Amino acid sequence: MDRNYHVFSDGRIERKDDTLRVVTDDGEKKHIPIEHAEAVFLHGQIDYNTRLIGFLNDHGVAAHVFGWNDRYSGSLMPERGQTSGRTLVEQVRAYDDPDHRRDLAASFVAGSIHNMRANVTYYNGRGHDLSRVITDLDNASERISSGMRVEELLGVEATARRAYYQTFDAVLPEAFALEGREYNPPPNPVNSLISFGNALVYANCVSAIRATALDPAVSYLHEPGERRYSLSLDLADLFKPLLADRVLFRLVNRKQITTDDFRQEVGACLLTEDGRTTYTRAFEETLEETVEHPNLKRKVSYQYLLRLEAYKLKKHLVAGEPYEPFKKWW
Amino acid sequence: MSGECNDQQDPVNRLLATARGDAVANPFRVTGVMMQYYYVCQRELWFASRNLEIDRENSAIVRGTRVDDSSYGDRGEENLRLGMISLDLLEDGRVVEVKPSSALTEPARMQLSYYLWYLDRVAGVERDGVLAHPTERRREDVELTPERAKKVEDAIRKIHEIVSDESPPEPEEKPFCDSCAYHDLCWC
Repeated sequence: MDRNYHVFSDGRIERKDDTLRVVTDDGEKKHIPIEHAEAVFLHGQIDYNTRLIGFLNDHGVAAHVFGWNDRYSGSLMPERGQTSGRTLVEQVRAYDDPDHRRDLAASFVAGSIHNMRANVTYYNGRGHDLSRVITDLDNASERISSGMRVEELLGVEATARRAYYQTFDAVLPEAFALEGREYNPPPNPVNSLISFGNALVYANCVSAIRATALDPAVSYLHEPGERRYSLSLDLADLFKPLLADRVLFRLVNRKQITTDDFRQEVGACLLTEDGRTTYTRAFEETLEETVEHPNLKRKVSYQYLLRLEAYKLKKHLVAGEPYEPFKKWW
Repeated sequence: MSGECNDQQDPVNRLLATARGDAVANPFRVTGVMMQYYYVCQRELWFASRNLEIDRENSAIVRGTRVDDSSYGDRGEENLRLGMISLDLLEDGRVVEVKPSSALTEPARMQLSYYLWYLDRVAGVERDGVLAHPTERRREDVELTPERAKKVEDAIRKIHEIVSDESPPEPEEKPFCDSCAYHDLCWC
């Protein structure tokens, strides 16, 4: 499976013959084999030109851009194969049909709660008593009913996530107390890690969605907003526990990330470059982990699970076959 | 009069009218690939008719494109496009269809038969065909007999039925599913 490449330094990314080349401001040159790239993630201040865009397009490689505070600020998406009026029409139709939209929103919430529960169950069996959180998640799950409005479903999701976040304080050392989820900007290390991880999950979902001709701005659980890819938010919720949260728990508990990996900046707590590098490496390793897929009958990477989710949604919208949200099955 | 009305409903006539550029209320197109899919997998046909994207990195797709390009590089580079059909190449006045292997011969034979039928009915040109498997150095002559022409027309009607359906036919495990570009979309 193709992988992501991250550029943290400032400099320039360019086409050099038939490869991608990063030239950093201190003169270091790195090559990225484009045949094996899914996307490049640009975290630093990077220059590029139109020749690069054409080259990325020819190889179907996306470039995701991150700004200050590791906030996702946009993507250069390959054009190839991503235009399908019929798909967009079906996608909007489903949004416009209250019952259909509700069913999809309910699926996303059910899947998200299931995947949060999978993480809690794991730590519950490892010296932490999290049975209360499990009960809360199960209650939230049972509240999902077909008659619910989307706002109510969002409420169920929010309640579940609040309960789920208690796991963080139970499992993580004191220096990484969550003290409630806050972002814009994140006030402490664990909030900062959650934000960074979620942004990576989100950008990977943008890539997966854009590989299918679905429009990333037309969503079901989240309200289609302006200036953001809200369908990516719908899908990202399913995968945050598996990807972002697992990496966070692992790195902090193994002391691979410590409070030294953060710096305080006008009310924000941000990862240092070292911290981001450590996190990103672990995140990419997680994306490359594989699991036996019961229907495809072969091993697939976690990253490919995102692509499959986009396929499933598209198939549901265009072919009318039922949509089953991703629920960790192992 | 009523007979004429029925004719307009017949997919074969609609296809021919569409191909000839007549003003048709409901144009109907069948590409060579659709004809092939009809014989390979009807679910694949439905997906393709909806432009559901295929996995372009799929090794069979990459291989097919490469065999096409490399075996007849100098002549085959520009496919001959004729309305709905796209011929691999013409050789001594014969239509040659290039396939990487002879694993699915009947679908390829029908694809080629459809080209011959189309050339005959739309352009008024009678041609013979050759099915070529350059990697196996094997060739097979294909001729548009009346039986084949009827088979083509029956297939066009069935294709119309399938692609008009709201949903695709149920998935069905076939020996070549593993190498299909729609495999993951189908089974995910």
